[in-house]
Parts: sequence; structure tokens; C-alpha cells
Amino acid sequence: MNDMDKKSILVCCGPGCLSDNSDEVLANFKQKLQGQDIDIKAVVKGTGCQGLCEMGPLVRILPQDILYCKVRAADVDEIIEKTIIGNDIVERLLYHDTDSKKGVVSSNQIDFYRGQKKIALRNVGLIDPKNIDDYIAQDGYSALKKVLTQESREYAIDEIERSGLRGRGGAGFPTGIKWRQCAEFEEKPKYVICNGDEGDPGAFMDRSIIEGDPHSVIEGMTICAYAIGANNGFMYIRDEYFLAISNMTHALKQARASGFLGKNILGSGFDFDIEIVRGGGAFVCGESTALIASIEGRVGEPRAKYIHSNEQGLWYKPTVLNNVETWANVPFIINQGAERFGKIGTKKSKGTKVFSLVGKVKNTGLIEVPMGMPLRQIIFDIGGGINGNRKFKAVQTGGPSGGCIPEDHLDINVDFDSLAEAGSMMGSGGMIVMDDRSCMVDVARYYLNFLSGESCGKCIPCREGIKRMLEILNDICCGKGREGDLELLMEIAETVEEASLCGLGKTAPNPVITTLRYFKDEYIAHIKEKRCPAGVCRELTSYHIDQELCRGCGLCSKQCPQDAIAKRDKYFAIDESLCVKCGSCIDTCRFDAIKVGGRISCK
Amino acid sequence: MQIVIDGKTCDAKRGEFLLDIAKRNGIDIPTLCHLDALPGEGNCRMCIVEVLERGRSRVVTSCIYPVKRPVEVLTNTPKIIKMRKTLVMLLASRVPENDMIYQLCEQYDVKPPMRFTKDPTEECILCRLCVRACEEIKLNAISTVNRGITKKISTPFDEPSDTCIGCGACAYVCPTNAIKIHDKNGKRYMWNKSFELLKCEKCGEYFTTRENFEYVNKQLECKEPKILCDKCKKTQAQENLRDIFSTYEM
Repeated sequence: MNDMDKKSILVCCGPGCLSDNSDEVLANFKQKLQGQDIDIKAVVKGTGCQGLCEMGPLVRILPQDILYCKVRAADVDEIIEKTIIGNDIVERLLYHDTDSKKGVVSSNQIDFYRGQKKIALRNVGLIDPKNIDDYIAQDGYSALKKVLTQESREYAIDEIERSGLRGRGGAGFPTGIKWRQCAEFEEKPKYVICNGDEGDPGAFMDRSIIEGDPHSVIEGMTICAYAIGANNGFMYIRDEYFLAISNMTHALKQARASGFLGKNILGSGFDFDIEIVRGGGAFVCGESTALIASIEGRVGEPRAKYIHSNEQGLWYKPTVLNNVETWANVPFIINQGAERFGKIGTKKSKGTKVFSLVGKVKNTGLIEVPMGMPLRQIIFDIGGGINGNRKFKAVQTGGPSGGCIPEDHLDINVDFDSLAEAGSMMGSGGMIVMDDRSCMVDVARYYLNFLSGESCGKCIPCREGIKRMLEILNDICCGKGREGDLELLMEIAETVEEASLCGLGKTAPNPVITTLRYFKDEYIAHIKEKRCPAGVCRELTSYHIDQELCRGCGLCSKQCPQDAIAKRDKYFAIDESLCVKCGSCIDTCRFDAIKVGGRISCK
Repeated sequence: MQIVIDGKTCDAKRGEFLLDIAKRNGIDIPTLCHLDALPGEGNCRMCIVEVLERGRSRVVTSCIYPVKRPVEVLTNTPKIIKMRKTLVMLLASRVPENDMIYQLCEQYDVKPPMRFTKDPTEECILCRLCVRACEEIKLNAISTVNRGITKKISTPFDEPSDTCIGCGACAYVCPTNAIKIHDKNGKRYMWNKSFELLKCEKCGEYFTTRENFEYVNKQLECKEPKILCDKCKKTQAQENLRDIFSTYEM
């Protein structure tokens, strides 16, 4: 039996699958295969996130490319027997197509994976992040070798600049220009920083890369350090990302031991090392200048960027700071060439973008798509559409600073400029899908509430503006909205957007501005009619059962935690005095018979 | 290099801050968190102005905006005034009873809004001047605490600070008079701490805390300092000078 026939069992050990005990599956595989007295040679690996978190724990078997979903430790025996020893498939563990309900064997036949193009995630889910040889087997560190031994500093900068790579942290500044400007400053020492302080609610792109493929980030940073002439690097990872920190610490050790970090890297005479800095969990520290302040040991507050970090960054020295995903793109560009990278994506946004697709979609998970893919395709093809086939309402991109994009803008292409035009932003890549059971006023309030605790509070428009906008939104949501509130909201939003000190403040009003732009009638229903059309804001909601539509199945009555639904005469009805508006009856009813009304004043 | 501010041509050095250039040329830009003696931070945003460059306009904070090339600056465009009004409105909602902010409301024709919940005891606008002053004296007795809308100025853990010497620099620089110093019966009370006040050897007035007196003299390496208030110190210095000059006349 040669190596080609050797089977690889890839057990996903990303955070989603781990929380569903995929470590037990991994341990079981290892134990069972070690004890097997058969001439089957199979390699078992725990990998980073394989993407389709919704169906985890995932197990992928190569080279046949069989994907098993929701695997339990108890399933391991059957998989070994049928698939590893035999060449059979365990039908019940396959992914079942959302429409045809048929089992799909291979991952590339699944809609979720089909439209994707993996560059930053090229190794995530494929290699064992704790094994540097696995990375090297995937051409790892060959880009560094190429730059250090065959090419020059200028070559690296030229390639990155020509590739058109833009910063993946959200702002989209051209990476090549950033490097070139920093390289031109003569002041020393210089620094390289990786921003892994991912804090957006529902985002897990960066952690997945650090957890699943830490060496690509190390390699990217080392190439940049060589190009600009830096000898020290910092990896800023938020402390909650335990697995990311642990995998990265391990990877750094291995890279040092293998001569890819430290003194005289690959015999080139170039020294570089990276230190991990653990972030304290302040969202604002994802802002580059606040992050730098935090590394320096000061309070994580941003400063104005009239002088850029690449001139005066860490300890006022020239610094290149890039996001995790940006760094992971670098080795690919150097290896494959700027042209190949530049062919992917749109004219102004090259390459791919990683998103964490979450919310009310069928296939939640980690995806990477070419820039320029229409939002509709991401949500309905890759994401598989809305849960329970409900109606799509909006998608929130770009984290708390992003905006909500409605149905009629779903055909815009996802790239830096189109999203900005629609009032949202690329951000670092959070994508939260909402259905008709989401109240957009409540969504705006949720984000403002998040920001009210996460703004650094340094400048007046951001701190006081967010506080007051939140106050207005709280009032609107509980039926105390007043005439003139929307105008006041807009007035404050405009000032916060323009007059705030940093990027967080300048984008903080986006949830308010976009929901006001696309869902104004929902605000008006709250204020004037004292009614929450989505049935979310409890003070403004009442439920009733449409007796024409009700078939009397009684499911809602069984689901109701308050026992507020009972049969009266012939029909089911809701007792308003008991109802807490949790909405479980709506979610249960198959006939759409539960209707949402406005506030009913209980005397 | 020359820049134009509100139509007036002004000389400027590369790297100089816009606010300083404007001030030197008699152009008034409102500020709350700015003091010449302390580095600018751009917290209050009152000093925002519009900079026109390469056909584009952008809003910058003049106290920390370094001039790099000849630009045109407008300090009072309708856009800027509108934003300043909103800022004053937000401030007035934060510190509803503060005289300084009330005057700003009058100046900008802002009616203190009725819409928001208010705390009549709040006087601090969190401009951080006090913290910067304390840092400058190298005491670091106070700092900002918390973040977001719960941010405040305080001593570590709201307890009496070990390093506070009761010098009162924080209160002196405060633009809204939010920091109160209570001097009573030979004692000073501030930041939850009490200090012994010293009497001037000459006039007998209380004038500073013992901690402050000792700290300053230590910094100045003054071995046997006299306990004199500022006023008496000046008189003393005058007398000394007069003595010196009178010897010259002889």
C-alpha cells in the first residue's frame, strides 16, 4: 500500500465542533485505529474549522472526500468499519441537501462549499495546526524561503502592491502601499503587528485562521518584517480565544525550532521573532491605534490618525499593522504570484473575503468567497436560505459598525466599495442574517447598547452621542417614542459620524442610519401606532390567533411556556394577561395563524 | 509655508498644529479640553474645522491636526456650526446645571433639550485635562475609569490615592469647575482624602497642603525651604531684589 492510498481522517476541532465534543470523536478515532491489527493505514488529524458549523462535529475523510456530519464518539466504530476498512459510506451521517433531502457524499457537491474559493482559509480544516510538517507539506514557508533566498525586499513589496490586496480588517487600505511607505522610513527599530482582536458579535474569522492555520500568519508577518526591515513582531490576540493563543504559542515554538523565526532565518542573516500579546477583551482595542496603546501598556484608547502608524506606530516607531486574514493571504500571493491573485475578485477589491455567516440561515458557518459575489448568492446558495423558509428581512455586515442591508439591495456585490455605498461596510467579515421575526429598531438598539459599553468613552460625540441615541431607541422600543425622535436621532448620528475621533465612533451610528434609511416605516409604526410589526418589542406587541387559518392542532398551546393559549368554545385563543410575547407560538405554528398586533392596554 | 484660515493668510511651520496657528493670528476657535501647557488630545471636538485640500473637504480636530502642506481652513462653516451645536446640546444634557456649558448654550443658541434623562449633580465633561495635569506632575493619582458611557474620572478603586498630594492642579485646569476643593479648619478635602494645610510663616494664611509643599521642594531640591505663600514669596523676592540693586547703586 503506498502513501496515496493512505486515508486521512480529519476531525474538525474548531470552536463550534469542539463545544459539541469533537475532541471525544478525535480521541476515539486515535484509540481505535491504534489498536486495530489490520493493514489499514489511516492518519487521524484534529483540524481547524471546516466551515459548516451548523452540521458539526464534522469528520472528513480523504482522499475520497467523504464528509460526515453531526458525528458522535459512538459513531466512530461504524465509520472505521464501513469507510476506513471497507469502502462503504455511512448514509445516515451524510449531509442532506436542504431542498432534495438527499444525502451528499463529497463536500464539493454541497452547495455550502461549492461557491467558495479558499485562499486565506486554504489550509484551515485541512491540516493539523499543531504540526508544522503538515503546513510545510502544503507549500508552507516556501514563500518565505523564496523571498529570503531568491528574491529581494522590493520583490515582496512589489508583489503585494501589484496583487491589489487590501486590508481585511475592514478599512480596506491597500496593503502594498502600507508596506512601501513603512519601508521608506529610515527610523529604526520597526515593528510588525498582527491584529487578532476580533470582537464583533457573531464573528469568528480570525480566530479560525489562528486556530486552524497559525503558520500562514507567522509566515506572512515574517515576509513583511523582512521587506520593511523589522526585527520584532507582536501578535495581539484577545484573551478569550484560548485555543487560538494555545495553537499560536505552539506554532511559534515550532517555527523557532525549525529556523523560520529567530536569529539568522534560513541562513539569510535576517533576525525576526514574534511575541504574543493577550488582549483584555475591549472591543475598541481592535482599532489599530488603541491596539498599539494596549501593547505599550497604556489604556486602550485610540488617537487621531493624522500621522499614520506606518510612520509613528508602536513606541512612535514605523509600524505595519495588518489583520490576521491579510497576513494569511501574503504567502499565497508570493507563491502564486500577484497576477493569479489579481484575477480573483473585482476591479478594486481583489482576492477573496472570509465571512462568518450566522443568524437565521440554514447553513451557518465559516465561508470564503471571491470578492464581488452578490449577497443573494452568499445567503441563498451558500447559506441555503432562511431557516424554516421564512421571509428574508435584512443582513447585517461589518459588525456593530456595519449596517443592515434590506432585500431589494441583495443583488449588490460584496466588495469594499459596494457595501460602503449601501451604507454598510465590509468590516472584518461578520454577516448576520435576519428574518421577518427581527425588529429593526430592536436590532439598532442592540448594537448601540453593545457600543455604549465598548466605546472607549474618550471623545464627546461618540460617548455622549451613543448614550443619547440608545436612550431614544430604548424609549421607542418600549412605546415611549415621541414626535421628533427620528430627526433628533439623525442629527446626533450625523455629528457622531463626522466628529468622532476614531473609526469606532465614526461608524457607530451606522446601525441607526441604515435602519432609518431602509426601515423607516418600522420606526414610525413603533412611535405613532405603538406597534412593533415584527412582534419583538414586548411592550408594543400582542398576539392573536387568526381563526380562519387556525386548524385547531393545539401545538401552540403545548409550546406556550405561560399556558396562555387554551381552547375556548371551538377555537384556540391567547390570554393577553398571561402572554409574555416570547414568540414560541409563532415559531411553532405551521399555518401562519398567529398574527402580531399592536399594544393592547391591559387595564 | 503659508496656509489660509478663514481667508486670512498665515505663516506656518510644517508639523505645527492648526489651532496654534489660528490663535497666533487672532482667529478664535472654541475649545474645552485644550490647554497650552498640556499636549492636545482632541477629546471635546469643539475645535473641529474644515480643511480644503485637493478639491476635497474634511473635518479635522484643529488642536491635534499637524499642518503638512499649504491648505485652506474654514473654522465657521454652516456644517461645523451645526456639529458644534449638537456637541453643545450633548454636553448640556450631560451637565445640565453647569454654568460654563450654559454659557456655551447661549453663545450657540442651543436650547438645553428636554428629551433626555439628566443628572443635575454631574459637572464633569470627561475632557481629561485633570488627568493630563496629574500625569504631567508625575503623580498619576487620578485617571479615567471604565469605558463607554460609564467612564468617569477617579482615583484607583475610588479609594484615597497614595500619591495624591492635594495640590489642586486638577481643579485648577478643569474647564467646568467640576472638581471641588474644600478647605476647612486647617484641612483640605479632595478625592476622598484629607490633607493638613500649612500656614504661611509671614501672613499666617493657609496656602497649601503639607504633602504638596514637601513634594515641590523635593523636586526643586530645596533643602531648607521657608513656609511662604505665593504672595509673601513674591514680596520676599522683591525685597531681595531691591537689596541687590541697592548694593549696585552704591
